[in-house]
Formats: sequence, structure tokens, C-alpha cells
Amino acid sequence: MKIETTVTADETIIAVEGDIDLYSSPELRTAVLKAVPRATTGVGVHLGGVTYMDSSGVATLVEGLRSAKENGKTFSLVAPSTSVMKVLELARLDSIFEVRSG
Amino acid sequence: MQADDLCLRVSSDPRLLAVIRGVIQVWLEVCGLLEDRRHEVVLAIDEACSNAMRHAYKGRTDEPVDLVLSASEEWVEITVSDQGTPCPRECSEYRPLVAPAPDEVVPGGLGVRLIHEVFDEVRFCPGTRSGNCVTMRLRRTAKNEVDSED
Repeated sequence: MKIETTVTADETIIAVEGDIDLYSSPELRTAVLKAVPRATTGVGVHLGGVTYMDSSGVATLVEGLRSAKENGKTFSLVAPSTSVMKVLELARLDSIFEVRSG
Repeated sequence: MQADDLCLRVSSDPRLLAVIRGVIQVWLEVCGLLEDRRHEVVLAIDEACSNAMRHAYKGRTDEPVDLVLSASEEWVEITVSDQGTPCPRECSEYRPLVAPAPDEVVPGGLGVRLIHEVFDEVRFCPGTRSGNCVTMRLRRTAKNEVDSED
């Protein structure tokens, strides 16, 4: 998994590539929970390059969403890949996230 | 041993989850399962192995996780077992997945629910002496198979 964080004037984008699983999700969790309170308006997690995501990845995104709410920030998923959407749908959590195409 | 059977012993190192997924993916392809179903089955098995590593072995990376995969005309069956700390019974119980209200979403506890969601039959049983064991079965119906006429 590769993570790249870009801070812009209005939003922090965290771009993720590769597999998000029990091994790699702690790194994403750290990046998300660090970025949320520091972001100007909010965080967008770009998941277009994610080839696989398990429940630890889902839990990480849920934590990010909760942290954003506590901090008064926005939190959205950007261009999630098919495998990301499938897991969120299977977990019935696809509707709790703001999802945008790009 | 049957024609399609596969036994796999891996150490409880989360880095190996990617290897397990790769092997299962190919095995399911050999068995003739549809791509959509393969993704879900790989996910559910990954969750079972992750639970063994995280909860039964509490993060220790040098313990055995055993997978036995077999396919018959009627079923695809996968058993994942460990020799770690037995998990509390309530952790393996079936709880239906429902869309939560946005304020009620909690991280975690999702793995076992995904396993129940993906497979037709799920049985958690204690291991031989200690540890945990879960047997997951998928019925081989036309909607799951590559050679389906439907």
C-alpha cells in the first residue's frame, strides 16, 4: 500500500494505492487521524487505486468519519474503486459516506 | 484427499495475508467460481485469518494459521483454524448486517458479520485442544459458477 497526502488551501487529499488489510491499515489510520484535525475544511480519501480493502480498512474510514464530525470537518471518499465499493455495500455502510467521483 | 483439495499452513504474520488472498483467488478460479463471488469469498477468508492473527494470537506473528479448502459438486468449503486464545462465543454469533444511522456507526466488529453475509453456512467450533476453528460453506448454485447456463 502507498499513501500520499496533499494539503491544499481547502482540502487535504489522502491518496491510497494497493491493498488495505490488517497489515497496512494501521498506516492509513495514522495518516487519516493526523490529517483530519489539521485540515482546513476537511479530508478526501482518494481510493481509486485501491485493489483490495477488508474490514480493517472499513473501520479506518469509519474512524476518520467520526473524527471529522468531532472536529467539524468534512470527510469524503474520492473515486472509490469497485472493490472498495463492494466491501462498503456488503457491510451496508456505503450510504454513510459522502462519495464523489473525482 | 479429493481432487480439488488444498491445505495451507501460514504463520500468523499479517504481511502474509496478501499471499493467502492470492492463493485462494487462484484456487477459486480453478474451482470455477464466478469473479464476483471470488472477491467476496477471498474477503471472508481474509477476515477469518485476520481474526486469528489479531484476536487469537494477539498480534504474535510466529504462530500457525491453518486453512483447508475443499470443493465437492455441491459445496465449496473452507476451514480456518488457529491454536490461540479461544474467542468469546458472542464474538462468533450471527448478527445481521443492517445499515446503521450515521451517528451509530462504530469501527470494528465487522469481520465475522461479513463472513456470515458471504457464506451459506458458517460454523464456529472450538479447536482440538485450544484455539478456534471456523468452517465456511458456499453452495454451488448456478449463480456462483462460471459455466452457468442461467
